[in-house]
Amino acid sequence: MRKQPPPLRKPPEVAGRLLDAQLHLLDRQLLDVDGVPVTTIDDLELSGPEHDEPIPEGAEAPRITALLTGPVLGTRIFGGRPPSNRLIRIPWSDVAEVGTVLRLGVKGESLDALWVERWLRDRVIGRIPGGSHDPE
Amino acid sequence: MILNDLLGSDVRDSDGGRLGEVSDARFALDGTPGQLLSDARLVGIVVSPRTAASFLGYERLGITQPWPVAQLLRWWHRGSFLVLWEDIARMDPDAVYLRPGYAAYEVGLQR
Repeated sequence: MRKQPPPLRKPPEVAGRLLDAQLHLLDRQLLDVDGVPVTTIDDLELSGPEHDEPIPEGAEAPRITALLTGPVLGTRIFGGRPPSNRLIRIPWSDVAEVGTVLRLGVKGESLDALWVERWLRDRVIGRIPGGSHDPE
Repeated sequence: MILNDLLGSDVRDSDGGRLGEVSDARFALDGTPGQLLSDARLVGIVVSPRTAASFLGYERLGITQPWPVAQLLRWWHRGSFLVLWEDIARMDPDAVYLRPGYAAYEVGLQR
């Protein structure tokens, strides 16, 4: 049997912009500082609390520490989530703008999220004759 | 903590009564100013009594078009409310427990 909440109040005013994770962050595309697509945002990492531990009154609210991306297709279909060490972290401190897409203030070349593309470029594409320079 | 572990969890009051499911987490960009953006602080969780799924946020954004879709989704999410971080007592893997005497707030994002 579902219980009813108390009568709804007006939410308190906050100084900054409000973001709902599902509406404004998750599954959005992420572009680097040059507008190059990096990845999509699969999950968020928060600074706490740990599961099963009571939260003391007055505890500091968790913050977003990183955007997470990784191999989530299988777990979205079959349930669960990949182990956290398989997820690639992009620090929140690198995020410059939240809009229709999220923009980073750094180049994607420096991020772990693009290691597959870098590996393919260096190990496969670059070894194809003519693959290591611009077309003439 | 990983956010997807929280989304979809049951929400229970201090007596263990089920109130609904976590359908979203609300953040405010009012934390410590960073080099690019301020820290995003968890304001609270959006609780939906029927479903954890949320589609385009019709129930939170005041969107009225297309009319039949807006009406349907508002009806589906009726009774949704916001619970602030201060009223969360514990976050277990399967449920979020609220403090006694917690307050429920309107869920709209409009100011």
